[in-house]
Amino acid sequence: MKDLFIALLGKPDGIILFQLLEATQYTIYLSLIAFLGGGLLAALITLVRIAPNTWGKRISVSYIWLFQSTPLLMMLFLAGLGVPRLFDIDVNPWTAAIISLVIYASAYLSDVWRGAVESVPVGQWEGARAIGLGFLKTLRLVILPQAFRIALAPTVGFMVQIIKGTSLAYIIGFHDLMAIGKRWANAPVEGSEPFIIFPLMALIYFALCYPLTLYSRHLERSFGANTNKVAPAAV
Amino acid sequence: MELRFFEIYRNPEYLWLLAEGVTLSALVTLAGAILGFAMAACLAVTRYERIPVLHWIAAAYVDFIRNTPLIVQLFFVAFGLPQLLGYVWPFWAHAVLALTLNFSAYFAEILRAGFQTVDAGQHDAARALGLPRFVRFFKIVLPQSIAQMFASLNSQFIFLFLTTGVISEIGVRDLTFAGLYIDSRTFRSFEVFITLTVLYILVSLAFKGLMRLVEKRAFRWKGAR
Repeated sequence: MKDLFIALLGKPDGIILFQLLEATQYTIYLSLIAFLGGGLLAALITLVRIAPNTWGKRISVSYIWLFQSTPLLMMLFLAGLGVPRLFDIDVNPWTAAIISLVIYASAYLSDVWRGAVESVPVGQWEGARAIGLGFLKTLRLVILPQAFRIALAPTVGFMVQIIKGTSLAYIIGFHDLMAIGKRWANAPVEGSEPFIIFPLMALIYFALCYPLTLYSRHLERSFGANTNKVAPAAV
Repeated sequence: MELRFFEIYRNPEYLWLLAEGVTLSALVTLAGAILGFAMAACLAVTRYERIPVLHWIAAAYVDFIRNTPLIVQLFFVAFGLPQLLGYVWPFWAHAVLALTLNFSAYFAEILRAGFQTVDAGQHDAARALGLPRFVRFFKIVLPQSIAQMFASLNSQFIFLFLTTGVISEIGVRDLTFAGLYIDSRTFRSFEVFITLTVLYILVSLAFKGLMRLVEKRAFRWKGAR
């Protein structure tokens, strides 16, 4: 594979592009793990949030508020440097990056999902209750199928935030596209100047994110809640 | 395990650094947001009015920025552009430029969606009355959409503020930079980053308060909300 790149692009350029693409796989793995882990945690938080229990509601609201207000960078520093030093343990960059991104993703996803569940009309809950369904059954048979359609577009859209978020993990020593790219940009090699490397990296990130953005837009058009509201996004 | 927050707050040097960091973070973010908003307005109007060719470029720009990480944009602006074009700027100026370019895309998306919420009939009616394009925009579309866009712009602004810590990576002495310095001196990483987190939250709460004040003043006609 590497030889092919070198044969096609020549000595420095082929190696650079190959290494960048090779490092991209870790960006993808980390994004997938963060999305799946964050999704699981978010499902739990959403469930606690909408269940008829005051304390559960309070806890999940605080959780969402706290982790939406904490910068992702701070979570990474806390998981990668703070906690290991406080307890005098070794935490490898994978673990630290996964923990921070899972918490980050769960806070946002559960907020999106709560919104989707709440946008199902109250009449649906009342109707299900009237025919004798319990909370979990109502949720599974009546509410979730409807909420799912509303939540799908913003959920796919949020994956873009996660991918972009992984670009910060290099700060605690995670080896991904960002880490390798930055190393090349610092190297005094012709063809790896910052004004070549960073646009190239941007293109790779764009190639990962843009299909998801397009898919999310497609979903929104086909059966999204037509609210015309743009969810806040950053990173 | 032992929490030693006092190592930070008993040292006047560290307190001073944190205060400087908060100020710089807030100022650079504000500058980026104000310039970014101006740029976003241009982008959104270009798209809304479907100005030939330009509206296509504006859409591509917004999509590109929104689908790439801020840190890559920042490094390109701070290290790539100066080398390519041969200029020398202070670190904070690079940060303001990068944040402006980044914020503008996120704001532009909100503005574009906001303009679209104005009923098409309003636009058609203004057109039937023979109002010129800019009057249609400034007197019909803008006033009807700005109030409801304000809330979205607010929360977007807070979100963006929380991502600005990356500017420490190009040497801007912002809040994160101050934290990293204190961390390198004290090795109390946990306490340092908890302190930073609290400060970031406090500043974003202050921004929220400020925005609420602006909203009250600017949209008095909407009544108490």
